Amino acid sequence: MVKKNLFGVGLLAFIFFISAPASAAVRGVTDTEILIGQWGPQTGPAAPWGAVARGTDLLVKMINDEGGIHGRKIKYYLRDDSYMPAKTKAIAKEFVEQIGVFAVVGGVGVATGMTARDYLMENKVPWCGPVTGVYEWITPIQKYLFAIYPLYDDEAFNLTGYLYEKLGYKKIAMFYQNDDYGKQGVMGVERYLLKHKIKLVEKVSAEVTDRDLSTHALKLKNSGAEAVIMWTMPTHAALILAETAKIGFKPQWATSNTLSDSALMMGITKGLWAGMINSFFGELPDSNHPLMVKYREAHKKYAPQERWGVFYYAGIIFAEPFFEGLRRAGRNLTPETWISAMETLKNWQGIGPPITYGPPKTPMDRQGGKHVFYGKVRPDGTIERLTDWIQITK
Amino acid sequence: MFGQLIVSGLAVGACYALLALAMVIIYKTSEVLNFAQGEMAMISTFIAFTLLDTYHVPFPYAFAITFLFAILLAVFFEMVFLRQAKDPTVLGLIIITLGFEMMLMGFVGWKWGPDQRSLPFPVSNIETYNFSGMIISKINFWTIIVSLILMFILFLFFRYTKMGIAMRATQQNQLAARVMGIRTKRIFSFTWALSSMVGTVAGMLIAALGVLDPPMMMDPLLKGFASGVLGGMTSLPGAALGGALLGIIENLFGGYVSLSFKSVVAFAIIVLMLCIKPSGLLAKHYVKKV
Repeated sequence: MVKKNLFGVGLLAFIFFISAPASAAVRGVTDTEILIGQWGPQTGPAAPWGAVARGTDLLVKMINDEGGIHGRKIKYYLRDDSYMPAKTKAIAKEFVEQIGVFAVVGGVGVATGMTARDYLMENKVPWCGPVTGVYEWITPIQKYLFAIYPLYDDEAFNLTGYLYEKLGYKKIAMFYQNDDYGKQGVMGVERYLLKHKIKLVEKVSAEVTDRDLSTHALKLKNSGAEAVIMWTMPTHAALILAETAKIGFKPQWATSNTLSDSALMMGITKGLWAGMINSFFGELPDSNHPLMVKYREAHKKYAPQERWGVFYYAGIIFAEPFFEGLRRAGRNLTPETWISAMETLKNWQGIGPPITYGPPKTPMDRQGGKHVFYGKVRPDGTIERLTDWIQITK
Repeated sequence: MFGQLIVSGLAVGACYALLALAMVIIYKTSEVLNFAQGEMAMISTFIAFTLLDTYHVPFPYAFAITFLFAILLAVFFEMVFLRQAKDPTVLGLIIITLGFEMMLMGFVGWKWGPDQRSLPFPVSNIETYNFSGMIISKINFWTIIVSLILMFILFLFFRYTKMGIAMRATQQNQLAARVMGIRTKRIFSFTWALSSMVGTVAGMLIAALGVLDPPMMMDPLLKGFASGVLGGMTSLPGAALGGALLGIIENLFGGYVSLSFKSVVAFAIIVLMLCIKPSGLLAKHYVKKV
């Protein structure tokens, strides 16, 4: 009898021992650390955008050097997915099942992110700031997903309006990448033109791997467009500018913030980038904003080998609200306390656009960035700021 | 627009032709498809970039040093990787080239980083020539000229030089060539070196036409391969013709049928040729006697 009782007590103690820490533990959070992860293309055709993930690392180093957040240091895992969705899915699984991260921050790519979205949401992993501006992050609305990047659709809509109304270009053509990124740009441009009962004079797409754009340039030239909006990756932007220049076609070009790294673009276009009208979702590289000054100093200290460009410090822009959420959540950090903290952000601003979230009633409650501003590239590659922050998403 | 499409097609076709030639030179002697061809050209172009941009070496010297690098790289690969393979099958050798391709891609990404760059080149990629209304950019014009000159030199080399004849003999019957006193191992090294030099010219022209970055040769290499299949993988004139035809067909298809499907034309041509004339337009169908 005594033996039986002892066995029962032992079993209970064992169950208690096993279950108690499990119920109290939060994945990716220890007494001293918070584990976070990000994927990004460090190799392959989209590798220049991989600088984003390395930019986040800079902010992590700064925070850790300042003592961390509420006594916890940040442990950051960066993985290269080469912009290949299959790899991204595997990385997401590694983050959750092997490393056990608290959250995912950033992550370049639509197709890549889409392979991980449902998996992360099912596992209740907070995800802050996917590095693309598509509807997929906010529709259907996700409790654990906080978008930052201004929507391409709204960005293209407003950029078209800027060309049409402010600058007076009536014949507008579009050159875009034939995927979700490019197509949501087209969506916004066409939505605007439809509202004004006009049509694009030409719509030309390029596949990601295309390297010969001579035919594309001819089609754009033959359209007689006065202005061309491009929604592509840097390589295609450089190729199309060279091809159109060869055949003497010089429209007013305009493009999204994805191509706002003017130092890079001036270099690879041999100066043809001058005159480009760009939208921006973050401070300019040489901005005197106090935070930008601080980050530039940190860049010199922690990562002097990196080029201080828009793609690089965009990694800070996508991570700033996440860390602000950690600060507001306090020492008792769980996904739920972090989410509640994020929902208190109202027009909060780092070096990116003003960020506002709310309890998830409509998709826009999870769309943090709703502003951009416009700039024009000068012949020396610096930017002439044309407007203040403009709200593009209502 | 028709004339312009033809001219642009010829220019891009010249680059395809050079890559096809580089592949055919190796295929002719060893029946190995070199999938590292693009990356070998790419790394050589990065060497040229470093010499020109970082060290400001005058172009002719930079070009010569790049050529030397291309030769050494190819000979190194042939001697250290391919020659060491134990009882290699053709498939095994092809897999080794794929492995080498990945190594080179990784190395360039690590050494030079992923950012795109602009290769300083003596010919402008924006300035144009105007031939009675037909506009052709200087870089496109010189791409065609350089390709034609290179093809002519290769033709003379294979036809009239001892080394060229030895290479052809090695391709036709390796054993007999060896019996006749030809050092076939040396021939293989030379073949790889020659192919690497031709590929490097293509790489530099492609970088000058667009941008220089690690994945820059992925698309052109596939098109070069398609050109080889179209013209014949064992025929040098076939590879040249295949490249020119592919460039023109692609451009006309993009201009008049569909831009979205322009990039798949090359693959449609591969499938079509393999069904209709597997040996290609100019190569003789090879039948092995048993």
